[in-house]
Parts: sequence; structure tokens; C-alpha cells
Amino acid sequence: MKNSVYILLITLLLGACDKGFEEINVNPTKPDQVSVSTKLTATQLYTSGSRYENWRANLIYSSTMIQHLATTAGYWSGDKYTWNRGYAASLIDQYYPTAVKSVEDMLLQLETEDAPAEMKAITRIMRVFIYHRLTDMYGDIPYFNGGKAVINGTLKPEYDAQSAIYADMLKELEESAAALGDGTSAFGAADIMFQGDQAKWRRFAYSMMLRLGLRLVKVDPAAAEQWATKAISGGVMESNADIAYIQHTAGPEGINKNGNGEVFSADGNPRMSETFVNVLQGDPRLPILAARRSDGSTDPADLKGLPNGLDANLLLQQTGEEDTTPYAEPNRNIITGEDAPMFFQTYAEVEFMLAEAAVRWGLAGGDPEPHYNAGVRAAMNMLELYGSAAVIDEADISAYLAANPFDSANALEQINTQYWAATFLNEYEAFANWRRTGFPVLIPVNYPGNETNGTIPRRLTYPESEQSNNAENYQAVLAAQGPDLLTTRVWWDAE
Amino acid sequence: MHKRLNAMLLLAMLCCFQYSIAQQITVTGTVTDENGNLLPGVNVVEKGTNNGTATDFDGNYAIDVADSSGVLVFSSLGYSTKEVNMNGRNTVNVSLAEDASQLDEVVVTALGIKKDQKALGYSLTEVGGEELSTIKQTNAINALQGKIAGVNITQNATGAAGSSRVIIRGASSLSGDNQPLYVVDGIPISNTNNGSASLWGGADGGDGISSLSPDDIESVSVLKGGAASALYGSRAAGGVILLTTKTGKKSQGLGVEFSSAVTFDQVNTSLQDFQTEYGQGTQGRKPATQGEALDLGTSSWGARLDGSPVIQWDGETRPYSYVGNNQDHFYRTGTTLINTLALTNARDNMNYRFSASDLSNEDIMPNAGLNRKTFSLNLGSTMAEKLTTQVSAKYIIENVTNRPRLSDAPGNGNYTVANLPPNVDVRFMEPGTNPDGSERQYSNNSFSQNPYFAAYNFRNEDTKNRIIASSSLRYDVLSWLYLTGRAGVDHYTIKRTNVTPFGTAYRPLGAMSETEIRYTQVDADLMLGMEKQLTEDFGVTSFFGANKNSIKEEALDLSGTDFIVPGLEDIGNTANQSRNRSFGERKIGSLYGSVELSWQNWAYLTFTGRNDWFSTLSFPGKTTPNNDFYPSVNASLILSEALNIDGPVDFLKLRGGYSEVAGGAQDPYQLALTYQIFGQGHLGQPLGGINGGTVPNANLVPFSKSEFEIGVDARFLESRLTLDLAYYNNETTNDIVNVSTSVFSGYGGASANLGKVENKGIEFLVSGTPVLTENFRWDTSFNGAYNKGTVLATNDDDSDVSLDEPRTRNVRILHQVGEAYGTIVGVTYVRDDDGNIVYDINGDGVPLAQEGERKILGEGVPPLTLGFTNTFRYKNYSLNFLIDGKFGGQIFSGTNTITYGNGLHKATLAGRENGLTVSGIDGATGQPFTTTVAPENLQTYYGAINDIAEEFVEDSDYIMFRQLSLSYAMPSRLLDKTFLTGVNISLIGSNLFYLKRSVDNIDPESAYTVGNSQGLEYFGLPATRSYGLNLNVKF
Repeated sequence: MKNSVYILLITLLLGACDKGFEEINVNPTKPDQVSVSTKLTATQLYTSGSRYENWRANLIYSSTMIQHLATTAGYWSGDKYTWNRGYAASLIDQYYPTAVKSVEDMLLQLETEDAPAEMKAITRIMRVFIYHRLTDMYGDIPYFNGGKAVINGTLKPEYDAQSAIYADMLKELEESAAALGDGTSAFGAADIMFQGDQAKWRRFAYSMMLRLGLRLVKVDPAAAEQWATKAISGGVMESNADIAYIQHTAGPEGINKNGNGEVFSADGNPRMSETFVNVLQGDPRLPILAARRSDGSTDPADLKGLPNGLDANLLLQQTGEEDTTPYAEPNRNIITGEDAPMFFQTYAEVEFMLAEAAVRWGLAGGDPEPHYNAGVRAAMNMLELYGSAAVIDEADISAYLAANPFDSANALEQINTQYWAATFLNEYEAFANWRRTGFPVLIPVNYPGNETNGTIPRRLTYPESEQSNNAENYQAVLAAQGPDLLTTRVWWDAE
Repeated sequence: MHKRLNAMLLLAMLCCFQYSIAQQITVTGTVTDENGNLLPGVNVVEKGTNNGTATDFDGNYAIDVADSSGVLVFSSLGYSTKEVNMNGRNTVNVSLAEDASQLDEVVVTALGIKKDQKALGYSLTEVGGEELSTIKQTNAINALQGKIAGVNITQNATGAAGSSRVIIRGASSLSGDNQPLYVVDGIPISNTNNGSASLWGGADGGDGISSLSPDDIESVSVLKGGAASALYGSRAAGGVILLTTKTGKKSQGLGVEFSSAVTFDQVNTSLQDFQTEYGQGTQGRKPATQGEALDLGTSSWGARLDGSPVIQWDGETRPYSYVGNNQDHFYRTGTTLINTLALTNARDNMNYRFSASDLSNEDIMPNAGLNRKTFSLNLGSTMAEKLTTQVSAKYIIENVTNRPRLSDAPGNGNYTVANLPPNVDVRFMEPGTNPDGSERQYSNNSFSQNPYFAAYNFRNEDTKNRIIASSSLRYDVLSWLYLTGRAGVDHYTIKRTNVTPFGTAYRPLGAMSETEIRYTQVDADLMLGMEKQLTEDFGVTSFFGANKNSIKEEALDLSGTDFIVPGLEDIGNTANQSRNRSFGERKIGSLYGSVELSWQNWAYLTFTGRNDWFSTLSFPGKTTPNNDFYPSVNASLILSEALNIDGPVDFLKLRGGYSEVAGGAQDPYQLALTYQIFGQGHLGQPLGGINGGTVPNANLVPFSKSEFEIGVDARFLESRLTLDLAYYNNETTNDIVNVSTSVFSGYGGASANLGKVENKGIEFLVSGTPVLTENFRWDTSFNGAYNKGTVLATNDDDSDVSLDEPRTRNVRILHQVGEAYGTIVGVTYVRDDDGNIVYDINGDGVPLAQEGERKILGEGVPPLTLGFTNTFRYKNYSLNFLIDGKFGGQIFSGTNTITYGNGLHKATLAGRENGLTVSGIDGATGQPFTTTVAPENLQTYYGAINDIAEEFVEDSDYIMFRQLSLSYAMPSRLLDKTFLTGVNISLIGSNLFYLKRSVDNIDPESAYTVGNSQGLEYFGLPATRSYGLNLNVKF
């Protein structure tokens, strides 16, 4: 009896203390990996963005600073150059935990799974797109080790110099474009931007190379010309069929919706800026882009833009208006839907860049005018992606071009003012291109208590949490780039 | 040792003399305890002689005496000795009172092992079940508040079905739940808090310990420190509370016990002392239109109340007069009715107890209540000569309707009732609905709810079905060797429905959710034990065992927003629906052992060890260990025996122990990254990605807690005076904390073993029997504990660990290195070097207090707790009261903050007639100023102050008259001719009044969450006082 008790005990004690524990601790409700294609779809939607950063970084700050929109609402900080640190950091706060983290995870998976080269190329192009938006907005940012807390254990990444980031992004685009083949990539329909069309991805890669190359025009004109040359010879977008955009749906969840559209669903404060409406006078786009707040009228005679930099008091003093309902707002019947397309880069922008390359360096055939005309036509025609109400007659476009012919004396201003009009709602790009070219010439506002001494901000600022959560690297970047202010210029934005 | 020898000699002498004395009369009788249970083995001795006997298994005795005019002495271990004059009777029935101060107390220790109290080298407090059942609480454990030194119990302002916070010797983990492990009849049970309110509102979802019926509890053993609880290893960090349920006892009659208790709860309106002189309005005038009355819903900045007509929110005109206390008008008298019927008896080789209990509560909040039915069966039997079994099973059905919403205003009727201006009668808000079913708004602020709409139209209901069962088997292999097996289960399901109705002002289309939670814990032990006296002096008691514990949790959640058909509250009737399922499983496998060495019954040394293996720390390919070892050692030295001390000291024991236990690392699936398919796809394409925003830590371990404790147990004057002192010092290391990551890392944080917390404290218990005569006895006891908790380290850069903040968001509970556990940190005044307050003077010349930096304003958990109990017994009457107090803590009062801003707080009366003179420093110039704030600008002035948290953090000190009971036990001579064998009636009262209270207007314990964020008050259910009647009948 005694022996059997001991045997029983010993067996029980030594055999079973952690038997099967490894299997138990595997979560039965969550996979340990998912198909990389599902991640691409998510990453593209993350890049298009949520309401959060589209509201704050894209609209509240960028759109008003470059005077596409205007408002009297105090929390629209960009309209009056006031500083809301949370709003200013929103693109970082939102992008790194979603788009950046996801695209880095995709690259690791593609490497591990030894995926086809074109999948890696497409993912690398997406990564460049995500990062160029971030660095253009903030300057130096963690680039080489951002979003890699799990991949390589970097919990507090260093900030990388924008010059190094640009060099790497351009190299990435070059290598990726070269790695793309023909036909449909293995991503197929999971690629909600180009449905896996590798030729379109290649043209997008070279078009991005053109964009990034031109960004260098102030800081390194030779490199700018060199990259523009490379991009043009590689083959950029050729028609509106090449536009890089995300088609949104009105639901069922937030991630499916156009983030800008969600903002307009929730916020009735923004109006079309007086600056923008004035530029659009005689432009067939005006009644498509704008409508009067009070009654929705799109009669150009009824469309009045709101001056930037006013609060309700100043509005009353300066205009006699008691509120902003007589002013135009983005046309809610056409362009502000939650199912509207979100543009990453358009063919129109590419034609305007070609025109500029022709002006500056005699590239792209050497004659800017056909590129300018093609750009204007593309910018007007592409509105049809907003639906049938946004289709502009060819005759109206021709009439507009006839009335506003290419003016070689003011070529850069004219081209980049068109670029500015064509990037309405892609305010990140509009803000970056304005800083690069200085066009259109904007008259800054000087609202009492503004943060910039009455100058248009040159960047947005880092998250406040970095001061405590990444203190060493944060101090280092201040030393390298300058104070964390709205007025500090990023590397390529040389004076 | 000498005493024992003497006793044996005496016994031998008794035996000899017994036969040499002439026998003439036989006296018989039955001995019971105070509850009518038959007591076997009671010594019965004829006083002044050596003549004696003992009661049999049924408590009966028969003694032959020379004549029946003498005195019989009844004595038994654990009971007060009683002398009874025979007065010529042939039948003498006696009941013995339990005596907690008896020396050779046997107590229940870890793993249910019964031990002699004197062998313990650590502090352990055991109380009888009557401490829970005399004054019954809807959450039974709350009845222990103030009774056990070092056990800090907080009853929150969460209603009758709410959770309780029990913290033993201070909180040891920065983020863990810190509550003790509850073990019922050897089986660990869940004490999960199923939801609590946050700054955005919500309701308390109740906890696990509240399921138990107080009438079923035989005893409660509190293992306070690590040395006592070390055998529970990684689950012992919060201490352990062992509950033993009642088993069958031999009864005099049929064995029926019936108890009925009714309790009435009333809002203690004396706490709230608001101004009643100025009514609804603004700038010193009353509302002129219905629209203005709606705009000024909770604004009491109106004119002096003068009885003139005024238009109110509903368009009716009423006198501008004080309408009385709206708490009185709105809340009802709560009632709790608890009926328990038990059948209990014992036969030769088996005993049983079956009980059924029904608790019906109507809470003070209209339409809120609780019903709990408990069925309990305990069955013990001796199956064969050496084989005994014990089976216990409980089935609990709990229905709760409308757990009151707390904290933020939406859905929270308490908020509105507390904030209404003195001239606005809440009763006119009934019914809460318009004819079309939508909310009748009393205010244009749609988030401020009509309280009747909150009570009758908001809906939350939950039903919990729970089984707690255990069975054990003991086989006595040899006289000194036994084998025990025990297995048990705690299983429950909760079905919960939550409805924000269609027509709610702030959410016109409504929303609802349906949740089902399933929880199963299975626990099994196998243990081999021995007790052997190796030599005359040296003994060994030891056991070794293995344990397996597994816990599975699953939750299904359906939620929908925007009802389509008004009034149909069904998930299918919502426009947007979502669903979620969560699942978790974890197991712990353990080996443990204990060796106790004893020398001559005055020196004891005990070693224990437990090794736990964790599934939560196991993962394919993981190289770091998935197990840890938890040792303890403790020693007890009975100096009174060792040194043969005589005189007033009866007993003197020194004890000491050291232990290492652990906690945390309970969540499964934390070691590796997982992925998910999320959302509902886009354009037909599924969306995939990383699951979760925290960096997994494959090397996570449970936090460890080491503790050193020493103590003294001394008894004087034949145990009429006893003293128990304890000192402990414990340190938690490797506490699991969130390491802040840069947002650029892509993750919101990472878990790491970096936290450190220290708790030091003393505990004392002085008890005595100052008066003891044949008919009168006064027992008194005074206990107290002081715990100093200090945060030694938080995370990688020792930055603050943030806990909760209240809705005002100007104050927060933080862990800061070097400070007390859970400090209250909030916005302060800006002051100049001399301490003068700095103001901004606005355009109207009103000084507005500047908001200063956030500073430590207090600590949320009072470090000093005291309890004072007295029991007076006169013949069959017994009067008991308990006074308890807590000191040294602070509380942030949301009620005082909000009522300051809206002019209801009494302090805002200053200046209403002639303006208020304010002196301070003008922030613009830095120069002193004195100005008079005009009455119409007072609300601006006070409104700025209400942003300053410093003004509203006050001491939470209190002394409360916590419990009172007056009991009468019907004497057996009155019952002899009836079928009854015991009748006991008690009048009871609880939470009767404060002897001292530092904070105005609120209950100093009215927190809204049982989590670690203590010290925040924000519109919970008001405090109540309770009165009632208890009846116990046996036959």
C-alpha cells in the first residue's frame, strides 16, 4: 500500500506539472500570422487615414495654412497659426501605430516567406509614400527603426536626418521600380489602389521619384535635376487612369470611410478660403468644389470665400457678417462624401511637375506649355471620380485654357498655383509644394496671440510625449534640426 | 510541559477516586453551544470533588452526585467554562459560550490544514461565521470591516449589488488587483470584478465573493502575510481568505434552523449640507422664461428664495422656495429580506447540512434591486474505517436589475439629484418620459439625465448562475500517515443586458448590448501528510502535495446602436451591430510541501515551499523558465512554557517568519505577437494586421513579494486580557509595469518586470473581559493597523504610473517614485512666495484663480485603520457594537467641486448679498489687490475656483458607529415545553452615524471603483444607514 502511494505521487508530481502548457498558451482566437495581402489592403486604408489625423493635420492645420479653407472656429489652429500640440502631432500619433507598423511588418513577412520580388517592390513603394508624408510634415523623424519595436526591439528610436531619409527613399523608389515586372502582381485585388497592375505601380514609383526629386530643388538643385531626369526616363503617369487613389465606401466601419469625409460629416465650421475662391474665379471647378453654406447654392455669383485668420468678433468687425453661413464651404453634395476617393498622387500633378522640369532644366521635351495644358485638363477631368455631378465639359476646359493660357513669364507661379488647386483636400501635398515653391503667394494672417509672429508655419511639431518617452533622442533632434516649433524649416525647405 | 503533566496526574487521580465515593443521585442533561449545536466531549465535574464525566456524541451526560445542591463545572476546549448550581434539579441543560481567548485554539491554515494556533509563526486571524451573519450585508465580506487588524475593507458607493475592496497589509502591486485570494472549503474561487465605473460613468458589475450566503459560513480565516499564505505561492500576494462552510452537526430536535433578517436602508441625508437660501437662476436673479429655466438646469446662482412665483423647466409656475432635501424625495427606503432554512444533523458515520437561502433587496435607487438564491449542501461521511469524505456544493442564482450608474452624469440619476437647485423639486420630474416615450429633459444639457428616466428607462439586468463545489477524500494509511485528495470547481455564467433607450436626450436613437460571460475554475490537490512524535520531545508534522489549477474565461458580446423600431429593445432592431468574442485559458501546476518541527510543545519551526509552473509563461520555443519557487520559514516560541513563567502572564509567544510569494502574470497569450483579421473588409478584401498595441514580452515573470514579520501573542490574568502585536515589512519586486515607448516605435507600450513597492506596518489587537460574573460579561477588543506603502520604482525611467482620473480631469491618481501608493495629484492654486493666491483679473474686474501646476494633494488609501468592539452579555441578552475609523487619507470630492461651481455648496453663500471681498496677487502686475466681487459676478469667481483640485481634496478621516446589535436568546427553560430548541432575536443597526467626519457633504468612503484608484468621489449612490431585525429559530 505504502509503495503504491509513493509511486502514484511521484508519477503525478514529476510528470504533469506543466504538461501541455505551451499549447494552452497559444491564443485560439488569434492567428500567429495572416496573409500579407490582407495587410496591404489595411495598409493602404491606414495611409489614406482615419478621421483623426485628417481632421487635425490635414484639414485643421494644412488646409488653412495654405488657404484652401478658412474658419472662425478657434480650434482650427492652422487658420490662425496657433499651436495645439496634440493636433500638430496627430499624423505621427496615428501613422506610426498603423501604416508604419503595418508596412514594416509586411516587409519582414515578405522576406521571411521569400515572396515574389514585385510584392516587395510594391510594399517598399507604399513605405516610401507613408514616410515621405511624415518627413515632409515634420522633418527629421525615426525612419530606419520606426515602427520596429517587435521586429528589432527598438522602443525608443533615434530620429534620422531628413537628408538621409530622402536619399534612402529615392534609392528605394529606384530599386523598386526596377524590380517590378509586367502583368498583375500576386497581391491582385487586395491591392485596392492598382489591383496589382505592376505597370501602374512602376509609373507611380517614378512619379513619386519626380515629386521627391523636385522637393530637393532648394537644398540641392543638382540632385533635383538628376532625380527628375531619372524619373522622366523611367516613365511617369500618363493619364488619369494612372492616378494613385483609394476608393472609399460609406461604411460599415470607420476604416472604410474617407477620413476627410468623416470630418465634414462631423464639423460644419470650415469654409472655402477667400484666397482659394478668388483663384477659382472663372474656373469650371468652382461650382463642383464649393457651395454656399446657407442654402447649398453653387451659382458662382453666390460663392464667396471666407478670409483666413478671423474669429467671430473680427468677422463682424471686418465684414459685418454675424456668422459664416453666407460663405462657401466644400460642396457637400459632391466632394465631401464618406465614400469619396482619397488621392495620393494624380496625373495632373505629374504634368505640372513635368512642366516645371521643362522650365527649369528643359526636361520632358523642353516645352512646358503642353504639360501645363495637359495638367489643367487632367485636373478638371479627374473630378469625375467624385461622380457624374463632377464631370466638366471639354468645351469648358478649353474655354478656361483659352482665357488662362500658359504664361512663360510667370511659368513657375502659374504651374504651381495650378498644382495647389489640383491638390485641394490632399493638403499634406499642397502644404509641402507651397513650401518648396512659394506659390501661390499667400498673404499671412496675424491673429492676436499667434505662435509664429504672423508667418505661415513651415512644419508641424512632434508629440509632446517624446519629451518624456524618448527624451534623449528628442533632445538630439532639437540640436540637429532646431527647436520644435511651427516655424522651424525642414531640411529641404532651405531659405 | 509541567502543566500538562499536572493535568495527567489529576486525571489519573480522578479515575482512582471515582470508585471510592458513594453514589446517590444521577443528574443528566444536554450541553449545547450558543447556537444550539450539541457538544460532545464536554467535561462535567462536580465542583470541589474529583467526580467527573464527559458528554457523549449527542452532547448528553449523566453524572452521579452525592446530593443535588452542589455546583457542576462544564468545560470544553474553545468554550468558556461555566459553573451551574444544581438547585436540587435532576436535569441540568447547559449552553456554553465560545471563548476566542482559549489557549489551545485550533485554526484553519493554508490548504485547509488545521493547526494549533500556538504553533504558528505568523499572524492569522480567524473569526466565526456569526461575524458575517449577525449583521448581514448584501456583500457578506463587508461585515468584517473594522474587525480585523490589517484588513482594509472599503464599501464603495456602488449600491447593494456592488463590489467590495479588501486589501490586506497594503496594496503590493502597482497595477495588479491586489485583492486577496478567496478559498472556499479548499477551492479557490473567482472574485473577478465584472465591470466598474470610470470617469465616463458606468456601473459596478459586482464581484465574486458576494455570491456567498453569510448563513453558510462556519469560519473565516485571514492569512494576512506571506508566511501564512506562502503555500498558495503565486496567488498569495494579496493575502488569502479561507472560508469554511458549515457542516452537519448533531442536533437536539429535527435539525431545522431557520433564520430571517429584514433590514431597512435609508439615505443618510445628514451628510449633505448644501445651501437652501438661493434658488435656480443666474447672476442673482431667477429664470424669467421656461427656456431660461432649462438653460439653468443645475445653476443655483439665482435670487434669495422668497416664495414668489417662478417659472420652471416644465413651464409650470411654482413658488420660489426651498423644497426640502431632494435625496429624501427621490431615493426610497431600501429593504433587504434574507431568509435561510437549513437542515442539519449527524448520524454515526455521516453528517449533512442542507440550506436554502433567499436574499431579496430593493435598493434605495428606485427600480434597482437584487435577488440571490443560494442552495448549499454539505455531506460528510466515514465510508470505511480509515476513509472519510466531505462533499460540499453550492448553487447560486443572482439576478440584479439596474445596477445604478455612477460617476459622470449620463445615465446617472445621482448626479442630477445631488445638483438640483434648492427650489427645484425632483418629484416633478416623474415620470421621466414624454407621452412619445422620449426623455423629459429638465435641462438643456442633454447629458444631465432626468433621474426618473435614468431609473426606469435605462435598463441593465444581469443573471449569474454559479456552482461552487468541492469534494475531498482522506485515507488514514497509518495512524500517523494520511493521504488526502481534493477537487473542486467554480463555474458561473453571467448574462447581461444593457439598454440606453430610444428617446434618450443625449442619444436619441439609443443603443444596447448583450453579453454572456462564462468562467470555469477547476482545482485539484493530492496530499500526503504525516504527524509523528519522533521522541518524547521532538515531533514532526509535514505534508507534501501537488496541485493543478485551471481557469477558462469566455465572453460573447453583441452590441448595437440606433434602434429602428422605437421601443423594441432587441439587438436585431438596431442599425449598426457588432460582435466580439474573447477567450482565455490558463493553468498552474504546483508541487508543495511543509515540514513543521516541534520541541517539547514550546518551540515550533516550519518550512514550506511551493513551486508553480505557469501556462501563461510557457510558449513553444521559449527558453526562459516557466516556473518559480516560493519558500517560507516561520518559527514560534512559547516563552511562557519554555521559561515556565508564572504570575499574571498565562501565555507569551514570540513568532517570526520570512516568505516569498508572487502575483501577476495571469493573462494568457502575452508572450508573442498575434495577428487578426479585423473589421468587415473593404471592397470585398479582408483586412489583416497585428493584434494589439503592446510589445509582447516573452521573458515576463510574476512579480515577487518577500515579507518579514514578527509578532507577540500574550495573555494575562487567566486570559482576561490578551495582546497581539505584529510588525511586517514587505517588498514587491519585478512588479509588472507598462514601459512607456516612443510613439515612433509603433506600439503604445511594453510590459516589463520593473516596479517596486514596499509596505511596512504594525497591527495590534488588545482584547479583554473587564467584567465577568455569573450573569454579566463584558468583552471588549480594540484593533488597529498602520500601513505605510511606498512606491520604490515604477518603470525604466521611473516616470509616473497613471491610474484613473475623475470627470473633472483636474486631478488623477498616480504612482510616483518615493511617494505613497496611489497619490492624489491635481491642479493647485498659483501662489506667490508668501503663499498668497495669484489671480487673473478679468474684464469685469473679477479675480479668477490661476490654475497652477499639478502637485501631490493627498493619498487615497488611509494608512491607519481602527476598530473597537464591545459585547455586553447579561443573562440571555447580548449587546454588541462596533466603532471603526480610518485616518491619514484624503479624498477628492467631485460633489463639492461641481456644487461649488453651480452655487449649491454652502461656501458659495459668502458674498451673495453685498459682494465678496477678495484679496490676492494680481497675476498681470504681481502686486497685491483687494477687490469686491459683485453678487452677479460670484459665479464667475467661484467657477474659476472649481477648476482648482487643491480646494476639493480633503482628509477622509472618519470615526463611525458602524454596527449595533441587541440580541435575546430565549432561555431553554422557556423552550423545554415547545418543539423549539433555540430562539434568538436581534435588533440590528449598521452605518448608524459618524462620530467624526472630516469631509463635507459626502461619505468619506464613497469611491466609485474598487480598483487601485482610491480617493476619488464622483456622484455615487449616497451613503445609507440601516436598521433591522434578525430572527433565528431551531427545532
